[in-house]
Amino acid sequence: MSTIMARVFSAKPAEQAPIEAIPGNALLWLIASFALLLVPQWDRLPWWLIAACAVLAGWRWLAQKGRVKLPGRLLRTGIMVALIGVYVATVQGRFTVDTAASFFVLAVGLKWLETRSARDFYVLFFIQVYLAAVNFLFKQDIAWALLTFAAIGCLMVGLQILNAPDLPGSLRAGWKRLGLLVLKTLPVVVLLFVFFPRMAPLWSVPLVSGEARSGISDTMRPGDISNLAQSSERAFRVTFGGESPPYRERYWRGLILDYLDDETWRQRDSDGFRRPARVDNDGGVGPLQSNEYDILMEPTDERWAFSLENSVAVSGNVVSTPEDLFRFQRPADSPVRYRLAQVSSEPAPAEALSPAEARRYLQLPSSGNPRARELAREMSAGLSHSEVVNTLLRRFREQAYFYTLRPPTMPDDGIDALLFDEKRGFCAHYAGAAAFVFRAAGIPARIVVGYQGGDAGAGGDYLIVRQYDAHAWVEVWLEGQGWVRVDPTAAIAPSRIESGLRDAVADEGSFLENDLTSPQRYGDIAVLQWASLQLDRINYNWQRWVVGYQGQSQMDLMSRLPGGFGLKELGYLTAGVVGAALLIAGVVSALSVRRGARKDAFGRVVVAWHRLCEQVGVPVRTGETPATLAERLSEARPEVESSARLFARAVNSHYYTVSTQEASAHEARRLTRLLKTMKRQLRRKSEPASRMPRHD
Amino acid sequence: MRNSLNTRWRRWINRRIPRADSQILSQKNIFILPTAAGVVYGLLLLIMLITGINYQNSLIYLLTFLLGALFVGAMHQTHRNLSGLSVALVRPGEGRAGDDVPFLLRVTAGKDAGLGLVLSVEDSSVEGVHVSLGESRDVVLPVPSAYRGYLRPDRIRIETRFPFGLLKAWSWLRPASSGVAFPRPLPAPDTAGTVHDGSEAASSAPVSGQDNADLRPWREGDMSQRVMWKRFARTGQMIVADWQGEQGSPHWLDFHAFPGVDTELRLSYLAWMVADRVQKNARFGLSLPGDTIEPDSGSLHGERCLRALAVWGEQPPRDPDGQPFGTRQAENGKAGVSA
Repeated sequence: MSTIMARVFSAKPAEQAPIEAIPGNALLWLIASFALLLVPQWDRLPWWLIAACAVLAGWRWLAQKGRVKLPGRLLRTGIMVALIGVYVATVQGRFTVDTAASFFVLAVGLKWLETRSARDFYVLFFIQVYLAAVNFLFKQDIAWALLTFAAIGCLMVGLQILNAPDLPGSLRAGWKRLGLLVLKTLPVVVLLFVFFPRMAPLWSVPLVSGEARSGISDTMRPGDISNLAQSSERAFRVTFGGESPPYRERYWRGLILDYLDDETWRQRDSDGFRRPARVDNDGGVGPLQSNEYDILMEPTDERWAFSLENSVAVSGNVVSTPEDLFRFQRPADSPVRYRLAQVSSEPAPAEALSPAEARRYLQLPSSGNPRARELAREMSAGLSHSEVVNTLLRRFREQAYFYTLRPPTMPDDGIDALLFDEKRGFCAHYAGAAAFVFRAAGIPARIVVGYQGGDAGAGGDYLIVRQYDAHAWVEVWLEGQGWVRVDPTAAIAPSRIESGLRDAVADEGSFLENDLTSPQRYGDIAVLQWASLQLDRINYNWQRWVVGYQGQSQMDLMSRLPGGFGLKELGYLTAGVVGAALLIAGVVSALSVRRGARKDAFGRVVVAWHRLCEQVGVPVRTGETPATLAERLSEARPEVESSARLFARAVNSHYYTVSTQEASAHEARRLTRLLKTMKRQLRRKSEPASRMPRHD
Repeated sequence: MRNSLNTRWRRWINRRIPRADSQILSQKNIFILPTAAGVVYGLLLLIMLITGINYQNSLIYLLTFLLGALFVGAMHQTHRNLSGLSVALVRPGEGRAGDDVPFLLRVTAGKDAGLGLVLSVEDSSVEGVHVSLGESRDVVLPVPSAYRGYLRPDRIRIETRFPFGLLKAWSWLRPASSGVAFPRPLPAPDTAGTVHDGSEAASSAPVSGQDNADLRPWREGDMSQRVMWKRFARTGQMIVADWQGEQGSPHWLDFHAFPGVDTELRLSYLAWMVADRVQKNARFGLSLPGDTIEPDSGSLHGERCLRALAVWGEQPPRDPDGQPFGTRQAENGKAGVSA
């Protein structure tokens, strides 16, 4: 029985096997992208959330493999309620960008259990793309950025697999296709990035983070800074317009502690209420003058900016304070660049301190540390202020004081214990003790907290200042000289000031002893050092030129181009770039279509044949087959009969077979020859010659 | 209003895409629009751009521009997926009315591969058709049929959403040839189904013998050659001779065997009987008003009969559009119809 009869007689066609709504490979790439996107968030997400996401995504994957079932509605609701409950319990009403981000991640995690159809796949795709954007809010290093772009790549490959699940070799082809697409569109992306006008924020958006940042703080207890000394994280990077100052002059002043409260130094006037908003990232433009320097600071969530002595602000995002310090308008919640200039190394002519200032810088707790007070009284008897300072420094230099990262604990009357018993301490100990003694001796004194030092980055273009460069020292007010820097650490451990912490504690072996992974710990391994510095240079340039490409730098770049672009012109330019790109794409595709048409040599020969027919008085009728046209042609001009028939047959066979490109080209050549023969035959006939036309 | 717009749109499409059994897709007849996901993607990019502006985040700008450019690139890619592709209806199918009738289509790649193609007609579709460069692929597309007769889908849609599903490009093939949908077989009530015509007893006894014929009064649809005109001249009665007794006594399946039954139902009965006879490998003929198929046996004969039943009383579909040069000639169900 033939197939048709069988079909007529058969019952309903068999039910189709159920197709998996989402191909497994596509899901795998979606999960991979999710995992990659979570990596940059690892330190800000609570651990239970990461675990929950892993379990939920794993569950979905096992369900895909058929090992487990996706939960029913009841169980799903239960899981959702439980996780949101845990979330609410841990958030405890603190709404920061962090908690918002973790809620976002939680939503993605819960969505895994509901991913059944292609539509759900797209929902997850969109959420993950936005998650990538959220990642950029927090992590802008080149490594994290590359990771995030890789995740986007995974998403795009996943989409391709979703749309053609059974295409063989779709994985490699997918990456290749995506790569080519990116390469082709890259020029437009770069142009858009450069020319798209960087507008001011449409509305104020705080980026308050609950994340604890390592760095100096606005209080100082003895021992605080020695904790910091165990961290090799970057604090900031500096580029100098001219020569960088010698190592011992690299004192980066951050803030001033002027109030001693029992054992703790703090600020008398704290920075006050901080309106949450974004820090101004426009850190000045153009080449650096020889006395200028440019600092790219890691986020601190504080307003202070670090500066050398005798600096003035160049970029508009920092303002100076009466204490010769610099402040941002808003806390630095993201890497921020600013620019300062050193005016002269001579201190400005000093005026006398006002009584209020004198009180402020002479404040001491009413009791405690009697031996230190006694020492101050002894020293100040009959000596000028500067002589007292020198006496104390000489005491530090000549007696057996030690600079150590492992100071003993000195619970009661710590300054007394340090000065007279233990004689072992870190910069914070000595600075605090020195300021105490000076104040007790009637010399206005204050603690300066900041960094001291900085190592050259790759190529020596810039300095890297790390957390272990954190330092505290003293400034005293001397009549006629103003505030003068006094660093007791320099007296006790000159190597700390001359070449850094590593050399200062080399004997002790305590440099970065708790941080096994830091490349700085292995300073003697040259390759490691070199690689780490190269990596840092790439990151520095990335931060300066890509991440930091904001309004001012764009304007600066534009001002160097001829034509003087403003924001409005940039808008036009962007529209122009997009328009031109689309136009070029359109023209290219139209040309390729034309070329395709031109490539069809076959069609051209047929058209030429039609023209020939018209010329000899055989009009081509619409819808006429080649055979009938050949018939009519040979009726009109019998001399071309054979070649016209051959021609028509070749045209027919071309149209009714699927032939390869090569065969087609061959046929076209044959047709062209036939057409030439026809023309020759026609010419010969019209010539008044007696010889017979020869057929070939 | 909506309706008239729809009509105009259809007319415009029909002008752009003439009826032909093969079609090369080009800029002229490819349409491209974002899918729902594509629209959401656009909104997402807008939100991301606003995020980038508000947080002054260069990397979000970069990501937004990259994704935007990928969308435009995908537009190009999706279009190229169809562009240059040639789609041809190789063989229109035959099948039962109410079932899906398989049409054989051939998709041939042009200068670009055609990936992730979906061929569809009404709500039936074939997904995941991939044609790589310089290749062609045959696709069997089930075309839903409702009634018996010529089956010519108005448009066969060929669509692709590859690579990202954010854009869809599509075109149509408007076939010139038609397939055939046979009447849906229904078991006939009368087991004989022959010329027994109720009360009419004139032919109750099948006559065997070379020269004998079944004589019966003329009915509408009988062929004029069979009318015994001499007798008509004599008596004024139109008598028809059924020469069924010529070879053995094959059963004639007769349209008139079911008096008072609706035409379509009759055809269904006959279709069932044809299939039944073929299964039993019996010898039979088919007599339809205006169309008679001489007795024979075998499945080819059965198919011929079914075709005759399918197109009985139907006109082959015509289209005012001319067929362009080089179109395949329609090979429709005429083969089984003897005039």
